[in-house]
Amino acid sequence: MSENFLEVKDLEAYYTQGKDIVQAVNGVSFSMKKGQTLGLVGETGAGKTTIAKAILRILPDIAAHVKSGKIVLEGEDLMTKSEDEMYEIRGSKIAMIFQDPMTALNPLMTVGDQILEVLLLHNDYDKKTGMEKAGDMLELVGIPRERYVEYPHQFSGGMKQRVVIAMALACDPELLLADEPTTALDVTIQAQVLDLIRELREKLETSMILITHDLGVIAQTCNLVAVIYAGKIVEMGTLEDIFDHPTHPYTKGLFGSLPSMAQGEKRLHSIPGLPPDPTHLPEGCAFAPRCPHATEACKGAIVNKELTPGHFCLCCGV
Amino acid sequence: MENTPLIEVKNLKKYFKVPAGLNHAVDDVSFTIRAGETLGVVGESGCGKSTLGRTIIRLQEATDGQVLLHGQDITHVGGHKLKEAREKLQIVFQDPYSSLNPRLRIESTIMEPLKHSGRFHNKAELKEEANRLMNLVGIDERLRQSYPHELDGGRRQRVGIARALALNPEFVVCDEPVSALDVSIQAQVLNLLMDLQDQMGMAYMFVTHDLSVVQHISDHILVMYLGQAVEKAPTEELFKHQLHPYTKALLSAIPSVDIHHPNQRIRLQGEITSPINPKPGCRFAARCPYATEACQQPQTLEEVAPEHFVACCRWNEIQG
Repeated sequence: MSENFLEVKDLEAYYTQGKDIVQAVNGVSFSMKKGQTLGLVGETGAGKTTIAKAILRILPDIAAHVKSGKIVLEGEDLMTKSEDEMYEIRGSKIAMIFQDPMTALNPLMTVGDQILEVLLLHNDYDKKTGMEKAGDMLELVGIPRERYVEYPHQFSGGMKQRVVIAMALACDPELLLADEPTTALDVTIQAQVLDLIRELREKLETSMILITHDLGVIAQTCNLVAVIYAGKIVEMGTLEDIFDHPTHPYTKGLFGSLPSMAQGEKRLHSIPGLPPDPTHLPEGCAFAPRCPHATEACKGAIVNKELTPGHFCLCCGV
Repeated sequence: MENTPLIEVKNLKKYFKVPAGLNHAVDDVSFTIRAGETLGVVGESGCGKSTLGRTIIRLQEATDGQVLLHGQDITHVGGHKLKEAREKLQIVFQDPYSSLNPRLRIESTIMEPLKHSGRFHNKAELKEEANRLMNLVGIDERLRQSYPHELDGGRRQRVGIARALALNPEFVVCDEPVSALDVSIQAQVLNLLMDLQDQMGMAYMFVTHDLSVVQHISDHILVMYLGQAVEKAPTEELFKHQLHPYTKALLSAIPSVDIHHPNQRIRLQGEITSPINPKPGCRFAARCPYATEACQQPQTLEEVAPEHFVACCRWNEIQG
């Protein structure tokens, strides 16, 4: 493999909230090759969604700003692009599936027309070809073409999520950012949507970043995993690295908290304490206050160690 | 083992009037819960599992059917008797953000049920009891005078639990108590609920869509589909030998965290039947790979193995 398809380097993004500064993303770096799926896991407020929005450059200008960092997609730095250039890239090269299918669709527009809108924006289709193509997209995600003229409220949650996926895939994006695409759905529907995403990835060779807090979903869809805590990647590696050899105390804690992993044991190994306040992050390792192995050394600078090729862990105790 | 179960639900029905007709949210559900036992109720959103819990403890009036507490019908009692029953029946709500009064301090929230019980004679006693409860569920005493918005989700849920346990209930409905919480906090609250059960011996009805949670915490599991109970069995039995096609599909859809043994998933086809004015017969038939003519007849929950109930006319033919 020659070059990385996507490279994110030292990304930092802060929000201002009144007088406070929320340190949402604190120096995140990762890279992925074409066709890979990277899973971002972490708790609410860990900065997962902010990373995705920073890549797409859709963070609100006033409250948020990307302090530093580089986002290189196929050799081009997205951070140096003008807003007009980004406008071209969004939807065609990079597309995003938002978490909540109920609010991601326009209630006053038929689902077909919403897909058509994306298509016409990025292609030179006439309306008829566009409508034909939009119908194809609906069929691709398993919705009959005849439902083109229906409105979002006539669809169930899972079907709406499919429409959102169809919109995101309409222009064959090379990178798909999926932000908790199945969290709002029931298990049987979730399984259908995950199947669909997997199928499309195989058919279209789309690279994907999948954001979720569900380790089961990660296990079933990703090749690479990055565990995020307080805006930092604390552990990263291949699916096997993370699931077979979890090393960071937080990663281990996450696995221990899962009821399905505690077979035969009555008590769950919960992580004591709470995630840190992102406006006042502790010095050194942000996980140290909750970590059973914390020492004085954890208050200093923590170096990212490469345990085996490609398996990184941000912990001074390993 | 006692002869009379703690809770006995008989042919319980709860219909809601909606513009399109009658929504059969809970339709002819029967089961029993023994003292100190945990019954997990699972099913997809909109299958009536929350409505079932709320109807049992009389937060909603049943359309038809009976709920017996210690063998006594409480479905239609009122006044003093209802108040007495309610002390024994409590609920922990799903959303710890909206289920606490934002204008009451933590201590007052917990004292509210204590005041109404009439068991305490002065403020000092009330405060002492509230303190005891806060310790019990692991809330720092310094938070006594805080308001709910100053607490995080996990602590708020602890307040909700303290309030539910204030009067030593015998039966607590836990309506998705951890689904609004993060994984690491979820485990804390689940541990707390199990510890409290060991100490106080109440029975839980644990309503959730998270099957791994239910597997961990329940003695028995009831599977619901569109208002009807389709299968009920002891937890281990259910996870080993599911009989109903819906239960099979549901369990196979849980994304497994075992990366070396991916799911062998049963794919469901077809549209979900509407619970509004449904036809008689199995409601799962439209999505069921095994459906036949016979499935148009009403299905009843039958005991096919000790303590294992299933509502499917073809359960025996489709095994293996």
